[in-house]
Amino acid sequence: MKKILVSTALLAGVLSYAGGFRVSLQGVKQLAMAHTSAHAEDASVAFFNPAGMSFIPSKLSIVAGAFAASNKVTFQNLNTLQSTQTDNPMGTPLYAAITYKPIEKLSVGFSFTTPFGSTIEWPNDWEGKEMVQKLELKSFYFQPMVSYKFNDWLAFGASYIYAKGKVDWDKAITQFGGQLNIKDEKASGHGFGFGFYFRPDPKLDVSIAYRSAIDMKAKNGTATFKFPSASIYPLLGLDAAKGTDNFTATLPLVEEYTIGLTYKITPKWLVSADFNYHGWERYNQLTLDFATAPIGNQADPTISVSPKNFRNSKTFRLGTQYAFTNMIYGRLGAYYDESPYTDDHFIPETPSFNTFVVTGGVGFKLKQFGVDVAGGYAMPQSRDVNNANLGFYGQAKATAFYLGLGLSYNPF
Amino acid sequence: MKKIIISTIAISALLFTASCEDDFDTDVQDIPVTAGEANFSKYISLGNSLTSGYRDNALYIDGQNESYPSMIAQQMKLAGGGEFKQPLMADNLGGIPSAGIPNKKILAVVAGSLAPVDAPGTGTTTLANIYSTGPYQNMGVPGAKVAHLLAPGYGNPAGLPATANPYFVRFASSSSTSVVADALAQNPTFLSLWIGNNDVLGYATSGGDGSNPITPVDGTIGVGFNSTYTALVNTLFPSGTTRKGIVANIPNVTSIPFFTRVPYNPIPPERFNTAPAGSPSNQDANIDALNTQVFGPLKQILTGLGQGSRIQLLSKTQGNLVLLKDETLTNLSAQITGALITAGVPVQQAGLMGQLYGQARHSTAQDLIPLTTSSVLGTTPSSPLAIAPFDKYGTTYPLEDKHVLRGKFNNVNGEVEEVLTATAAFNATIKSVADSKNLAFVDMNAKMIDLNSKSGIAWNGVKYTATFVTGGTFSLDGVHLTGRGYAIVANEFIKAINAKYKSTLPQVDPNKYSGVKFP
Repeated sequence: MKKILVSTALLAGVLSYAGGFRVSLQGVKQLAMAHTSAHAEDASVAFFNPAGMSFIPSKLSIVAGAFAASNKVTFQNLNTLQSTQTDNPMGTPLYAAITYKPIEKLSVGFSFTTPFGSTIEWPNDWEGKEMVQKLELKSFYFQPMVSYKFNDWLAFGASYIYAKGKVDWDKAITQFGGQLNIKDEKASGHGFGFGFYFRPDPKLDVSIAYRSAIDMKAKNGTATFKFPSASIYPLLGLDAAKGTDNFTATLPLVEEYTIGLTYKITPKWLVSADFNYHGWERYNQLTLDFATAPIGNQADPTISVSPKNFRNSKTFRLGTQYAFTNMIYGRLGAYYDESPYTDDHFIPETPSFNTFVVTGGVGFKLKQFGVDVAGGYAMPQSRDVNNANLGFYGQAKATAFYLGLGLSYNPF
Repeated sequence: MKKIIISTIAISALLFTASCEDDFDTDVQDIPVTAGEANFSKYISLGNSLTSGYRDNALYIDGQNESYPSMIAQQMKLAGGGEFKQPLMADNLGGIPSAGIPNKKILAVVAGSLAPVDAPGTGTTTLANIYSTGPYQNMGVPGAKVAHLLAPGYGNPAGLPATANPYFVRFASSSSTSVVADALAQNPTFLSLWIGNNDVLGYATSGGDGSNPITPVDGTIGVGFNSTYTALVNTLFPSGTTRKGIVANIPNVTSIPFFTRVPYNPIPPERFNTAPAGSPSNQDANIDALNTQVFGPLKQILTGLGQGSRIQLLSKTQGNLVLLKDETLTNLSAQITGALITAGVPVQQAGLMGQLYGQARHSTAQDLIPLTTSSVLGTTPSSPLAIAPFDKYGTTYPLEDKHVLRGKFNNVNGEVEEVLTATAAFNATIKSVADSKNLAFVDMNAKMIDLNSKSGIAWNGVKYTATFVTGGTFSLDGVHLTGRGYAIVANEFIKAINAKYKSTLPQVDPNKYSGVKFP
């Protein structure tokens, strides 16, 4: 009964800065089908819905994958006629998962993913350098999980999430000709997820999942101030000898509601659709609480509050797969992802756009092994920038693409 | 298979629709810069120190290179603008020793904290005329009032210092010419005019002591503001001219750091500590002594005369008020001396206190204390009356008129109100003349109010305010701007020019210019 399965997906990828700094690249096979969720073929379902583990055909499933994500953002100022492009390094989201059924009704699993992140790098001397020169955000989710299969058509699963993260932010302090770096490589947070997976009919899979928000707490961050002149440190109440201060901050990695379904139109052909709802409203402001530096903007001068005013956003996904043979699969997808903020709140450190993405890929199965290749091409819609709070006005646009390579191993 | 093909086509169609919207409607590279209805081929700027690029209490090369007219001219070059030459000083010190003009201020660390001081060195600029390398298009003359622009001989070295101006002496075409005559001789196609500030500023910065009176609103040309300003604009824009231009109004001087930096209660209680370093503070004892021996009895006497609000007791916890002489108050010298003698104060001391405090009062939140006054607070005045303990300027010895711009006291308007009233009248004239001549108009007064608000003006994430030194816009003299401040001004001019003449001059990026320099 061991099936050999090799899938290789090849084709389009996706710009997945699907809103804010959520990066929807947690499964190569899924990406090829617009990153839809109701696919319980192997352990890659674990991140999408722990309950999906119960419907994986094999008792043990192991998957791993990596992506190359590239994007470029352009900002143009209609007042000064300046135009600036980012020079972002390639992002490399990763994932791995393992699931195992010790008994028929119970599945356990572990998922590792990088669902939030962004590296944006503007030219050092660009016109918005006061807001950001470079911002690197990274997150790592470690999720042990368990799923219980009530009967042939229903399972419930839940996971605990331990998240680690990193922030590294360079920005200019124009008034004093200096620079500030904000860094914490040991931010962490906790969360959970749960979901139901239904198979009311052999042809139909339905996945409903919730993943909680995680407040990433930077408890011991370091703020490093660099000024050309020593006299500025005491003027700002900083210790000139050190030029550094500690800070605490909380960055929310927001909750996500997903409902997805997959329907097998023929034994060889399936279609999938997903709807995601992202709780970006939680990111309404960013508060940096410095230990001693009185450079904030609140009654307590060591606290700096920047309004972010994100709003909840939605994603609509549509994907399909066709089995040319029982060894070769072709996949296509398209999705639309909403930006989590309006033009009034556009911020250059996490540029975001309403984005159409087309995806595609190929999968090969060879015995227990699968190889998938996927790609995505994003078409972010250009937008106006009208952030009065920052005095940041103009237009922004972007381009992006993704490539992914995934491996799966389903020995028994 | 057929269905797959259909869905592929559908997705392609979706893609195509989407891709129509992902690029900019117009790339900034393709936006043409045009002059609209204006002609920028010969732009000349007229005005005072603000127009010349004056900053840090001096005119010097780096400042001139960041004058707002030079920024505007730079943008005009993208739309047919010609050369814009400025009468550059000889160096970056700005001093003109032969005319007694000091060097610029620089920030230096004085006693552990930053303070503006005169830059060391000897300025190399002279009064030698440089017209032969002109003519110059930036004709801003530091110190000029409205009437000065029309005055023949304003560049005549023989007229210094009364009827001529050392800065115009440098670049006037002849000793008999006027600023306006030299400007018109160049046949400008576009003029900017920001003048009138000195018609009220000089009075304010001299504390309203009468040495530099406010220009009267009414009066003949050369005397009254209204007639002179109207004549000036009529000369620059005679009826039938095709010349275009822009005029700006006058910011209220009460918004500038020169008057807002020093609070009305600037004397901290620690200032009363006279114990040597390392010894316990005698601050409280000294304050108690002054309150029981000087201010207590004085307040009691004044209260008896119905004038108790003139004097407040010193505080041990909060900033203390400055003591000033208010010449509009009834002189109560004799009454004070008499009452003190009755109370047993020695005759000599009673007489001294009567002389000192006859018209003295403490400052209120309505008074404005000029930046320059902070350096005299607490010093010993050179006066025979300055006998301890009555020898501390602003604390026990009242500040003279020139050190304070008095505000409303006991419901009687002061110098601040005079200044505001004059500014409002001048601005009404400027606006109506601009409208009658159909010129572009910049409301610099409104912009200054924005800048002075708590939130200031944001530009690409940088927050600019009118706060001294750290606000980024005002230079070290507290009156003139930094390169960034002038860039904000330039953008206001550019926006108004574009709005009026349908031109498309790009704005400048204030963040790219210089601010206050730190040592």
